[in-house]
Amino acid sequence: MCLGIPAKVIEINDNKQGKIDYLGTKVKTNFSLMEDIQPGDWVIVHAGFAISKLNEQEAKETLDLIKEYSEFTENIGNNK
Amino acid sequence: MKELRDKKVIQGLLNDIKKKSSSLPQPLKIMEVCGTHTMVIHRYGLKTMLREAGIEMLSGPGCPVCITPNEIHEAAIDLVTENENFICTTFGDMTRVPTSKGSIQNTVPKKGSQVKIVYSPFESLTLAQKNPRKDVVFFGVGFETTIPAIAVTVRYAAQRKIKNFSLLAALWLIPPPLKEIAGAKDTQIQGFLYPGHVSAIIGEKPYHFIPKKHFIPGAITGFEPGDILMSLSSIQDQIKKSKPIVDNTYSRVVKPNGNPSALKIMDEMFQKKDSQWRGLGLIPESGLRLKDEYKTLDAESKYRLNIQAKGQDLPGCRCGDVLQGQISPLDCPLFSNQCTPDSPQGPCMVSYEGACLAHLKYGMRENRKGSRE
Ligand code: SF4
Repeated sequence: MCLGIPAKVIEINDNKQGKIDYLGTKVKTNFSLMEDIQPGDWVIVHAGFAISKLNEQEAKETLDLIKEYSEFTENIGNNK
Repeated sequence: MKELRDKKVIQGLLNDIKKKSSSLPQPLKIMEVCGTHTMVIHRYGLKTMLREAGIEMLSGPGCPVCITPNEIHEAAIDLVTENENFICTTFGDMTRVPTSKGSIQNTVPKKGSQVKIVYSPFESLTLAQKNPRKDVVFFGVGFETTIPAIAVTVRYAAQRKIKNFSLLAALWLIPPPLKEIAGAKDTQIQGFLYPGHVSAIIGEKPYHFIPKKHFIPGAITGFEPGDILMSLSSIQDQIKKSKPIVDNTYSRVVKPNGNPSALKIMDEMFQKKDSQWRGLGLIPESGLRLKDEYKTLDAESKYRLNIQAKGQDLPGCRCGDVLQGQISPLDCPLFSNQCTPDSPQGPCMVSYEGACLAHLKYGMRENRKGSRE
């Protein structure tokens, strides 16, 4: 139920209605719950509403963290 | 973020978890609160792999379809079977939950009435505008992830004075049941995976009482296998250092203070009430209802519904115990015999995220490999 899909914002109008690109399909989305959002941003969409913006910097840090956790193991090797 | 699904990365994280487990006397019991996590854990076979790495995962109350008690489903059924020219809209899984009056999907609506599945609450409103002679009720179910979207929809209906629309609310808040689970004297839970998208709305603060008061560690978690394993690793570290916190390994989506605009509109439209949860019983301030000024948009008062707690599942169904983590779906005598996805006896077998369905769908595959779930 709390499934949310990451998708890219394609357009957004003054009434905070717009569209996202989800796997190549344009899907109508409501942006009423978002501040400072513009085309090109990535958002999480749930039940037709964008509920959160994806933060690129934090995404990079997650990948660093994963490396840190896996560092102690033999299997991570040159995986990237 | 495909790295978070990469086999080698997963294996690396699992090895790390296994290594840390070896210094602990017993397997850790960790609750995944959210049904979407339950699904991911089963789909990627993590349940068995984690057991081998020293972590026992228990499912929590985080499937809104599952925890909505039968009396609310029955109220929705009464609405379409007793009223003419009536449209009941809801999310797909809700229509299949079996009750003593059947399920919404297989009831026979009165003349001119119907049940319609929607993807977004806003679709119900559009339907109301297109059918001015019919009454449209949105049977809205959800946690904090979904509630803001419903709030926007109802506010829109109020602003445009759309009179033939109302909300039958089955809206639930996540922190109150966690308080019950963490605070139970005999709780076995040693860590929580907090739901990622509920947290995208509410942020980190509402969980702080859990490490502070109950000394139970936890982490806000995303929906890739790598997210789940990173959080479990963090929980192990917290236990080792005896420093429980609310970690956030899903910071790419969840900000510390959540989504303030969403919280604001929730506050504007709804007020808290004590609510009955399937399996967990009455939990103080765990549900929401529309504020009095929006009474005309509240189906419960508009149609004078008298929704009385019955606290009863269908005979034999043990969903209530499953939702409390007291039994595994495999312990239910009806599991995979009388109760299957085609003929579900309880909501935990209906919902895409229900623990019983997840066990049946993915557990079978694991069983075939010889490791009984
Ligand atoms: S297997 Fe079916 S009957 Fe048993 S607890 Fe789950 S939903 Fe209920």
